[in-house]
Amino acid sequence: MAATSRQREGFTMPELEYLAQSESVTIVPLHRMDRLELVRGTVGPFRPPQKTEVPLWLAVMLKRTNRCRIVAPEWLKYEHLRELCRREEQPDALFTKLPFHYLEIAHILLTHAEDDINESQGIRRLLQDLRESRQSKALRGVELLNPLQLQMDNLSAAEINEIRPLFKHTFDMLRQLEKLASTTEQSQQQSQFADQSYSELDDALGSSYPI
Amino acid sequence: MAKRNYYDIDDILAGQERVPCFLRTDLDGLGSAGSGGSSKVHRNTRWTLPYWMADRLNEEDYLDMQVSPVFSKQANRMYAASPESMQLRAICQHYYQFGLQLGEMVPDIPRVLYDMYMTRIQKIARIAQQGSNVEAMDFVQSLDRTEEHMLRLCQQSQNAITNWLQNKAYALRKAPVIDK
Repeated sequence: MAATSRQREGFTMPELEYLAQSESVTIVPLHRMDRLELVRGTVGPFRPPQKTEVPLWLAVMLKRTNRCRIVAPEWLKYEHLRELCRREEQPDALFTKLPFHYLEIAHILLTHAEDDINESQGIRRLLQDLRESRQSKALRGVELLNPLQLQMDNLSAAEINEIRPLFKHTFDMLRQLEKLASTTEQSQQQSQFADQSYSELDDALGSSYPI
Repeated sequence: MAKRNYYDIDDILAGQERVPCFLRTDLDGLGSAGSGGSSKVHRNTRWTLPYWMADRLNEEDYLDMQVSPVFSKQANRMYAASPESMQLRAICQHYYQFGLQLGEMVPDIPRVLYDMYMTRIQKIARIAQQGSNVEAMDFVQSLDRTEEHMLRLCQQSQNAITNWLQNKAYALRKAPVIDK
């Protein structure tokens, strides 16, 4: 199948969501269960009310069948997010530290396990604010672009994916312009060199190297 | 001769832009390529030819290629004064691609293109983020092909996240071919 133009420019969001599902989360099982042998490794055994780490996709599956309660990660607490928002909105602040797949994990948890998260409405709002201020900040990075390198720490997968087409093509344009500038510079220098008459060159050489 | 990108359709189309030339020899049977009606073109006349042809003939010394008015000194000064208000689409549809091809003739071009691109791309990014308003509409009308493409890509990538957050990313849709 031919790739659509959207796919050629990076990942699609469902793809990123799929990748995020292998991140691990903590759950509290509600039923006793033996350990599960999975391709990625072994999880369990599940002994309520002992907390266990499982991949996100498994947590969602167990949650759907009502066999566990998902413990919201530290960074997904209302107070923590509010603090991040405050720091993010300060002028000249760098990107704050969040998990690489924070947007996807938050979305999955808020969709499938809303009842396990306190103040989920407030968290939704904060995430929205956070995303918007980070987005503006990332886009302001365009003016920092140069043909050599760019460093933006703590950007998440979805955010990188969002600015990828813009930055990629701008980078390419700058690289082409730089190449052009260096070739014209070279040819100018060469023509200057050629303008010097041969007799002058002979004199110069003759004086320094008497034969 | 400028290096061309064989696989880039925009690069090929940009080669269609006409440049003024000054003929050194009589050319027989080429009248229909330029503006003249007769089949013969005489030496020492001015003529405008598509860049891809002029470049080749220039190399073989049939004619002297001159700088296109799009990148004349006067035009470049005008661009530098107000990059954001230039009607690039009216000036030249493939402004950047054409500039890259002409680059070796005019040493100013890399700098002019750089200033132009960096100023305008920031505005494009802003418009893609904030959505369109009346002032933005005017600007969008003035984008050349390269910039238009960039604007579309920015909007697509931002809509991708919004749609996904609203659970629209999975819905089955009619293929664009059928939709016409």
